[in-house]
Amino acid sequence: MGDPFDLTAGWLVEHLLIPMLYQFGLMNWEDVSYNWVLFALYGAAQVAVTFGVCLPLEHWRPVERWPDNKAVWVDVAYTVLSRVGVLPLFTYVLFYRAQVFVSGWMTDQGWVPPTLEGLFPALLGQQVLTFVLYAIILDFADYWRHWLAHQFRWWWALHSLHHAQRQMTFWSDDRNHLLDDVIAFVWFGVIALLIGVPPLQFPLLVLTLRFLESLSHANVRLSFGWLGDRLLISPRFHRAHHGIKAAGDRSCNYGAVLPWWDMLFGTADFARDYVHTGDPSGEEALATGSYWQQQWAGLRRFARTFSRRTA
Amino acid sequence: MRRLFLLLFLSVSSTARADGIAFIVNSRGPSISVIDMATHKEVSRIPTLREPHHLMLTPDGRSLMVGDTAGNQMMYLNPNTGEVQKRMPVADPYQFQFSPDGKLLTVNGLLRNQVDVYDAASMKLLKRFPVVATPSHLAYSPDSVTVFVSLQDSDKLAAFDLRTMTEKWTMPVGKTPAGVLWLNGKVLVADMGTDFIAVVDPATGKVLERVVTGQGAHNMFLSPDRKILWVNNRVGGTTVSMDAATLKPIRTYAIPGGPDDIEFAPGGKIWITRRFAEKVAILDPVTGSFETINVGRSPHGLFLNPGAPSPTAVSSR
Repeated sequence: MGDPFDLTAGWLVEHLLIPMLYQFGLMNWEDVSYNWVLFALYGAAQVAVTFGVCLPLEHWRPVERWPDNKAVWVDVAYTVLSRVGVLPLFTYVLFYRAQVFVSGWMTDQGWVPPTLEGLFPALLGQQVLTFVLYAIILDFADYWRHWLAHQFRWWWALHSLHHAQRQMTFWSDDRNHLLDDVIAFVWFGVIALLIGVPPLQFPLLVLTLRFLESLSHANVRLSFGWLGDRLLISPRFHRAHHGIKAAGDRSCNYGAVLPWWDMLFGTADFARDYVHTGDPSGEEALATGSYWQQQWAGLRRFARTFSRRTA
Repeated sequence: MRRLFLLLFLSVSSTARADGIAFIVNSRGPSISVIDMATHKEVSRIPTLREPHHLMLTPDGRSLMVGDTAGNQMMYLNPNTGEVQKRMPVADPYQFQFSPDGKLLTVNGLLRNQVDVYDAASMKLLKRFPVVATPSHLAYSPDSVTVFVSLQDSDKLAAFDLRTMTEKWTMPVGKTPAGVLWLNGKVLVADMGTDFIAVVDPATGKVLERVVTGQGAHNMFLSPDRKILWVNNRVGGTTVSMDAATLKPIRTYAIPGGPDDIEFAPGGKIWITRRFAEKVAILDPVTGSFETINVGRSPHGLFLNPGAPSPTAVSSR
């Protein structure tokens, strides 16, 4: 019996997508389409799992209760777009082709593209162990990406959209400015190219990491205990990063999944309790606007950082 | 003929019980399933680096080459045991074939838009043809002078002269061309974006005839006796047998799950990879029924070595 995700993706491709591609004269996308469907399925399942786990938690022990949840619905849209639509599309239309092209070019120059399995041949066939090692490396890279996003004014202008949410829930993880998303994808993509993350492993890796990231944004009084909080980022730990007094370069707890990097580089703060979230320095549209109002407000803030610099 | 000789060589060179061994390349596994041809059971799985697709026996019959596209690696296996002999860096090896005289190896780099010609003995790169776009499958003229390459994204077929290492012509042949085959002095091209195979004049590249086979005509294989042409239709989910001399269809078999590559087993059974079903079909062309073997993700290329000893324990490194 094969993997149910693979078989479902295969069924969808065979019975829906390929006949459609054939009708529209787009059969050259046939090979890519299977991967796209497969990881859209992973994304949908991951949204469902996140919903199934986090929603009961948020009802059980919420940090805050709000009179209405209107601001949260925009975050739902962000999540679906990011996990079911944009992420798989990006991965297979851009990342996959870029990886083959760049690594092939490197091979031609006589330099074999690095892979963990190349460095440690014992890892060949050890997919779970390789997966964990790649996850740790990518999490380390993401710590620095996130830290830099808080240091540069232009980057913070984009990233502040993520911090503007005063009603932070597990849906908030994906509320990002599109340009901030592009930077993050390029950052991840380059790192993945450098360390040879397999194309098939990359989306699964990102989706797994992002489930944990969603949980860390949840509106729930949940800590993993003294030791647990030092092994894996909990909602309590990450909430301190989103606190209203921690916006911009005064923040702490930049890690996404593992708190180890914050502990190692002195940015960890385990003392801050369940604080209020938001960014008082940003305009209101960033917090409560529609999807496009938020995107536009983020772009304006981004542009202002350059106009002030040149003024 | 050379292939039959090699299989014969492999048969007599093995001293153990000769039930045979089959290799199925799981493109998105990424791995190679090793199947005991006697029991139809998968006995082991050889891990590969990233994304293997096609495989081919070396002219001396001592190695089975497996091209790993995203891994930029050519892996060499012992065709009798599956033991990994060596790994060699090669850029984007998608489909590849040795010339009939065994002197050249042509490698299509599907995503890197290149056709590489190597000296088969030394694996020295002799010539790189940049192409537009996505070189998919290839076939040689019997005299090894010309190689024909389907260019999937530009709906064309390209012909390269291997004596002068120059392009002869590039001509439109139909939507999304995939499989290429030399047959009876003509070049056949399976046009995956259509329901036909194009019969092409090898001298000019002009399409002489279009033969309807089924929706998404993908790849073609000639039976060992060269009398039957087998065509897999990706969209229609069918395999069609045709008279190789007249190209008249004989029978259509329903093979769901994206039929792709074909190998012929002794006794007349036909092994077909089913990309989306993660299975291999073993078709009995007389009854039209088929049994299946579960393999890994997206099975693509396959190779049967009926003379090899029964694979009970195969090294996976």
